[in-house]
Amino acid sequence: MSKIDDTVRRETVYIAVWVLILSVIMQAVFLVVGQWKIGVLLSNVLSATAAIANFLIMGITIQKAVDKEQKDAAQMMKFSQSARLFMQFAFAAVGVLLFNAIIPSIVPLFFPRVAIAFRPYIGKKTDSKVEE
Amino acid sequence: MELAIGIILGLCALGAGMAMIAGIGPGIGEGNAVASACEAIGRQPECRGAVTTTMLMGCAVAETTGLYAFVIAFLLLFVAPGRFVNILVDTMSSLG
Repeated sequence: MSKIDDTVRRETVYIAVWVLILSVIMQAVFLVVGQWKIGVLLSNVLSATAAIANFLIMGITIQKAVDKEQKDAAQMMKFSQSARLFMQFAFAAVGVLLFNAIIPSIVPLFFPRVAIAFRPYIGKKTDSKVEE
Repeated sequence: MELAIGIILGLCALGAGMAMIAGIGPGIGEGNAVASACEAIGRQPECRGAVTTTMLMGCAVAETTGLYAFVIAFLLLFVAPGRFVNILVDTMSSLG
């Protein structure tokens, strides 16, 4: 088994932390509006796991793909994207069918995108620390 | 009534399938991005870390487009049929 690249590991940790923070915020919102139940928590955990796993698998695929020929790398990435989308669908479907909670099953899949939107601001601070 | 429900379910499934056509785009885009990154790393192996980081973020952003399609398909499969059937039943009962 090949070792996970430091870049991939660092970015996955960053995404995982943001997913955790946003999940806590979402649970708090559900609690405040009085819609919280155990199914909301469990489906959120399931989808958050899918979102983090998706990012990690994407990183590992990229890490492996950059060592290949261009054509093989493109094919590998296309196949990986299809497989990961199917995986996310399966996780979200399990969340909806088992816990009957649609919003907590779908919304966490977008948390990595939110984390990336905040990336430039966090990145600037990290870069300035490195420069010091 | 059964025919109408069957048509609703069939059209929802068809719509979900059509929505997932949008899932093809991110795959192609990510493939092209990674292929170009291979070329870039081949030219300048020392910038591998920076290229990988940028590409990771870029691929994750590109993938969001596929996720939008996925959400539409998901709602069409799990939420819409029930709602549409309820509307149909309400309409039929109000018409007598």
